[in-house]
Amino acid sequence: MLKIKKVGKVYEGKVAYRALTDIDLEVEKGEFVAIMGPSGSGKTTLLNIISTIDEPTAGVVEIDGKSPHQLKKNELAKFRRQELGFIFQDFNLLHTLTVEENIVLPLTLDGARIKEMKEKASTIAEKLGIGAIMNKRTYEISGGQAQRVAIARAMIHEPKLLLADEPTGNLDSKASKDVMEMLVSINEKEQTSLLMVTHDPQAASYSDRVIFIRDGKLHSEIHHGESRQAFFQKIIDMLSLMGGDGNDLSSVRV
Amino acid sequence: MTFRQFAFNNVLRNKRLYVAYFLSSLFTVMVFFTFANFAFHPVFTGGTVDSKALFSMAVAGGIIYIFSFFFVLYSMSSFLQSRKKEFGLLMLQGASTTQIRLMVFMENILVGFLATVGGILLGLVFSKAVLLIAENVLIVNESLNFYFPSLAIGVTFISFMVLFLFISMFVAFILRTKKLIDLIKGDKQSKGEPKANIFLAIFAALLLIIGYGVALTVKGALVVYAMIPVIVVVILGTYLLFTQLSVYIIRKLKGNRTIFWRKTNMLLFSDLSFRMKDNARTFFMVAIISTVAFSAIGTLFGFQSYLTKGMVQANPFSITYFSYADDTDKDINNELNQIQAILNEKDIHSEMKQIALNYYSSPYRDEGVLFVKASDYNNFARLVGEKEIHPGEKEAIVVDQSSKILSYSNPSDQLMESTIKLENGAELTPTAKIETEILPEFNGYYIITDNNYEQLGSPLRSSMYYVWQVDKGQTDKVVEAGEKISEKVPYKAQSVDYNVYQINKTFGPILFIGLFIGIVFFVSAGSFLYFRLYSDLEDDKRKFGSVAKMGLTQNELKKIVNRQTALLFFAPIIVALIHGAVALTALSHMFDFNLMKEATFVLGSFALIQIIYFLIVRLFYVKQLKHAIY
Repeated sequence: MLKIKKVGKVYEGKVAYRALTDIDLEVEKGEFVAIMGPSGSGKTTLLNIISTIDEPTAGVVEIDGKSPHQLKKNELAKFRRQELGFIFQDFNLLHTLTVEENIVLPLTLDGARIKEMKEKASTIAEKLGIGAIMNKRTYEISGGQAQRVAIARAMIHEPKLLLADEPTGNLDSKASKDVMEMLVSINEKEQTSLLMVTHDPQAASYSDRVIFIRDGKLHSEIHHGESRQAFFQKIIDMLSLMGGDGNDLSSVRV
Repeated sequence: MTFRQFAFNNVLRNKRLYVAYFLSSLFTVMVFFTFANFAFHPVFTGGTVDSKALFSMAVAGGIIYIFSFFFVLYSMSSFLQSRKKEFGLLMLQGASTTQIRLMVFMENILVGFLATVGGILLGLVFSKAVLLIAENVLIVNESLNFYFPSLAIGVTFISFMVLFLFISMFVAFILRTKKLIDLIKGDKQSKGEPKANIFLAIFAALLLIIGYGVALTVKGALVVYAMIPVIVVVILGTYLLFTQLSVYIIRKLKGNRTIFWRKTNMLLFSDLSFRMKDNARTFFMVAIISTVAFSAIGTLFGFQSYLTKGMVQANPFSITYFSYADDTDKDINNELNQIQAILNEKDIHSEMKQIALNYYSSPYRDEGVLFVKASDYNNFARLVGEKEIHPGEKEAIVVDQSSKILSYSNPSDQLMESTIKLENGAELTPTAKIETEILPEFNGYYIITDNNYEQLGSPLRSSMYYVWQVDKGQTDKVVEAGEKISEKVPYKAQSVDYNVYQINKTFGPILFIGLFIGIVFFVSAGSFLYFRLYSDLEDDKRKFGSVAKMGLTQNELKKIVNRQTALLFFAPIIVALIHGAVALTALSHMFDFNLMKEATFVLGSFALIQIIYFLIVRLFYVKQLKHAIY
């Protein structure tokens, strides 16, 4: 599904800065992968490169057999809105639109038919439990609801790959739990590949596999075992092994 | 770092943030200064321009000043709105309200000072340019030479420092202290979508329809009485049009999913409806200001062409000579020779014709009635390419002047009703009435056959009428010759080109002032729109940034911005153009003179300027957005 070979990123400037070095990564169809690492380790740079917002200075990114970085700008925009779904820490909803309108936006930009948009929106809203707030404005709903709206928007066009950047970063523990369970259920039911960058070991413990990055290099990876509790513990252990300071752990919950 | 240093550095190191506010202030100062530069120009103050023109200049100056005040105040308040978060942060650090006001005050004084000085310098350059244009385009009595305008500089500097001081004090009212949390979240809070009242929306449409209806139907002197009520009704209607009707229409459009959910429409309309609250006020102001500019320029321009066109219409021949009844042949010949000498001297090719205008006694008129031989008339008609007239043996043709600018009564009707008795006993009946300008007779005259003309007897009085028709393309020479002729042979000889030149000359300064004020208003309206657009730039960057992450092609971005900007730029101008067209139509009804060409020219030029302005602004806006996003 997603193949990354020898990807590197150097920020040019008065002092060149190497953000990523030789990253290799593969995500299978229907797999849920979390990327963790201390602040400044290059997690978000990697995610930006995968999501085609940023370009690598070396290496190849392939999504479903295509290399998006070789597409022209307009094709790239279309590729993004048809093949990828995005979930952001700060939701990135447009406050001038209602919840429903925010959800159908990717389809609207693609010129879908209204009936189809309405049906898809209501189906996905039912699934995510936001059917009752469809006509609300984004500033009238809670953070948890907003993130679910963002998930609905990311999912409505049935993307092959869902990219999430700290999806629980702005949420309380209850809402985090809801959102993560929702992502897992989408991942299982729709067989959508899911790549998530997070600081939060609790959120990471929902994934199939966690990849640790440090100083722009792959550090290690651990797989989901039998129980989530055990996996969570393994993640915590790995974080402390990496010499992450206490503040790498989510201070809210752990 | 003292507090004063902090405030100053805040401005100087944060140029980008202040640049929009600074530029709009700079621009305002420049406009005012350029105007003051003219108002205090030695040519105008020297006493050669009449006091009415001076008074209107003073009024215009006052209007520009008041306008500047509101413009700066408006720029200022929207600038402060966008800095709420910054103030919140400062207060979080423990700054008191007084300190923040003091900071804004000092910033303002600094920006104001720089804008005033910069505006004066820029205005010096700008006024030189305007002077050049004015000298070339318009016929101004004296040459408007460039001078060092110390008085204008002083007046501008003092006026604007007072203005900025005043506005800085005003800031206290704008910055009413809200809760800290409101300030910090200031940029995240939604202002809410404006709502429209259906009744007010209908009322807006009604007001405009009534206003237009009255303006277009009243005729003649009634226009003057209808003017004030119509203006009030239309202004109110315009306000409601933007605040209610447009919001109502946008909401209806949003309610229609087939339209609203079509591709990029969703992004376009949702923003439009939210911004309408801010836009409505700007649109209203711009529409009214532009209407004033259009109408003022249109009126002046129309009035000028009303005078010159009327002059040209009433005088088909280039040069005319009309002898007095008691002139001897010698006098006439003498003067004719003088005219011919001038024409020869200027090397003007012309064709001369003459006619004896004989008035015969009539029971209806003491001064007699003019009779013209058909051959004489046709001689003249051929010269200007008009239709020849061939009356029958038993008939007379009545001729009336077609451009009766000044006369409302119709003396030729009387001629139509009476019959003519010839010396041989025959009787002629007037059969037709035509309108031409061939002969200069206000009260109408008869054309009869040459044979019948012999039977009229001896005339009551007689005068000679000579005309010269010059070849085309010698206007400049003819004007010079015309000036000389009217000096040598005053009153009796007329040159239409010279007369038109004289009208243009007297009208020059007035037209120039009007044009200048109109352009100032129009350009200010444009910068209002520009400022409005740029206050949304950050918002747009953020919005399009997040949509672009999901996938938005550059073309789609361009399309949305294109429409958004076009609406902003053309909605108020189109309204103003319609207002202006209606106003000029009403004006042409008042004078009973067709202003179609002038109105089209004036409104068309403004529309063209606006289109160019739009294209330029759009180019930069899209560039900035693209730069921030892609």
